[in-house]
Amino acid sequence: MSLVHLSHVCSHLSNASKARLGLTSVPSTNMILTLSLALQQAGFLSSVTRGGLTPPPLDDLSSYVPEPVTQENISTRRLWLGMKYWNNEPVLSKMSMVSKPTKRVWMDVEGLGKLIRGRDAGFVAGLRKPGECLFVSTDRGIMESRECVERKVGGMLLCRAV
Amino acid sequence: MNVFRPARCLLSGSSISKFRPRVRCRNFHISPNLYERQGDPNFSIVKASKEGVGENELDTDLGSENFKKYTPEELEALQRKYTPGQLKAIEAGEAAIDLEDLEKHGVIRTDLGRLSYFDDLSQLRPVVDRPQHYEGPHDPSWRVLTHEERTELWNKAYREAVLEDPLPEPKTPEEAEAQEARKHGGDPIAEMKADARTPYYMGSNGPIPREHSHDLRAPGLPRNFMSDDKPKVPVKKAVHEEEADPRDPEGVYDRLIKQTGLTLDQIMDYKVKILVQHRVVNQTRLGKIASIYMLAVAGNGNGRLGIGEAKGQETEETSNNAKIAAIRAMQPIPRYEERTIFGEVEGKVSAAEVKLMCRPPGFGLRCQHLIFEMARAAGIHDLAARVPRSRNKMNTVKAAYQALLKQRIPEEIARGRGKKLVDVRKVYYAGRV
Repeated sequence: MSLVHLSHVCSHLSNASKARLGLTSVPSTNMILTLSLALQQAGFLSSVTRGGLTPPPLDDLSSYVPEPVTQENISTRRLWLGMKYWNNEPVLSKMSMVSKPTKRVWMDVEGLGKLIRGRDAGFVAGLRKPGECLFVSTDRGIMESRECVERKVGGMLLCRAV
Repeated sequence: MNVFRPARCLLSGSSISKFRPRVRCRNFHISPNLYERQGDPNFSIVKASKEGVGENELDTDLGSENFKKYTPEELEALQRKYTPGQLKAIEAGEAAIDLEDLEKHGVIRTDLGRLSYFDDLSQLRPVVDRPQHYEGPHDPSWRVLTHEERTELWNKAYREAVLEDPLPEPKTPEEAEAQEARKHGGDPIAEMKADARTPYYMGSNGPIPREHSHDLRAPGLPRNFMSDDKPKVPVKKAVHEEEADPRDPEGVYDRLIKQTGLTLDQIMDYKVKILVQHRVVNQTRLGKIASIYMLAVAGNGNGRLGIGEAKGQETEETSNNAKIAAIRAMQPIPRYEERTIFGEVEGKVSAAEVKLMCRPPGFGLRCQHLIFEMARAAGIHDLAARVPRSRNKMNTVKAAYQALLKQRIPEEIARGRGKKLVDVRKVYYAGRV
């Protein structure tokens, strides 16, 4: 499970919000899907929809049923993410990786507690910008670091989003 | 006021006196307030007063501490300024404020949207607040009053207005005569009141009261009945006085004053300083033309900051131009609790990078001199800064200014993400941080 795709997603989402896109697509993998859902939970994304190479119909996103995944179409599946903007500013302005494909970073609850209080832990800088979030891959799925501390689980630090 | 900000945020700030009314905070969730959940067995509530720590300052005698009675000297000073009638009005107004009520329900606002006068806003006043329209039934068979009817009604309203404020007992026969004449006309205030109260229309059951009539005309301007016509000061004289102001004999700020409407007092109160000054050269075919570059910062010490640049041959003139440009460019800087910034911000101009960091109360301004001066002008009291790369003075100032303006406000972030946000610092300490 390489982090290369995830790095590409981070850069892509930063670029998409700089370009003020309303809807963008990322590769459809389980890790990216759960991360997108975590981002949506945190309020960074307005919608997460599975679809193909063409975007899903925007007028009935709620009742839209994606095409079933088969061996023929699995290579063309994409995740379509709705970007959010508020007060002429993107809600998700910057997303960057913490773990790199060549260097994974794991953190226990104590370290995560330090991070969310704004202190550095290990080589990882604390969350000191207003509204900064850190997403952690744990054995209970991908969660925001504050939720990890609440549930007392540690894990691999994936990316930070502002 | 932002809806995400609890009302008690308004109490932050150093300018507030020791007395703070207890505030109520509207919840954005449906669970009851903490003090309404006293019976919850899951949490034992420890009261500060029970523990004997932090005796409630609010329970002290309010009347003696914050709303003191006038001393005889103060009364004398007031008597010199106000007429006895006005003094009576002042006393009545002060007596009308219930201190206990003020303590329980009052919220002293310090934000920009506050009113310039004290009011609990429990009543609507037609002129000050907004016109109240009559919402009852309308008489279908109305007609305009005839001239005779209107005269009669006006006379009646005038007599009532005269009776409303009776004059003191007459002492001389001339006074008695004047008072008798006043009952038949000639009192300007009573005439205005009568004008304002006489009905316009006649209904099936007599005249329709003025406040019940549906008037399609634009509402009249509120008139000041008590103003006396003073001769206006000639404009030319005022200009002449301005020129003679000893603080600005050269008239450096005249143009700024005319264009922005600032007063010289305000301009003199601003903290203005030249931060960067060096010589620059333009190479032309005629040779090198040297001039002086200056960069000034201006701030009001209360959340506004601007930077201005100027180039010129003369030091004095250039410095004045830079200062004026800085005053013109002043912009509001977001400040947390009016003392520090929101989180960590970075600014970058060319190779100069500036990182500003918020700090706890009492930390001070631990940063390099340029950023120190800017923070002081803007009224920031706790700040740390790093300038890791280039330390070019001009670019450092510009980058710091950019960083200060680039701050993101937590309330705005929360609204963008659709989250609820409460500043627990203000909740835990009841707005006394």
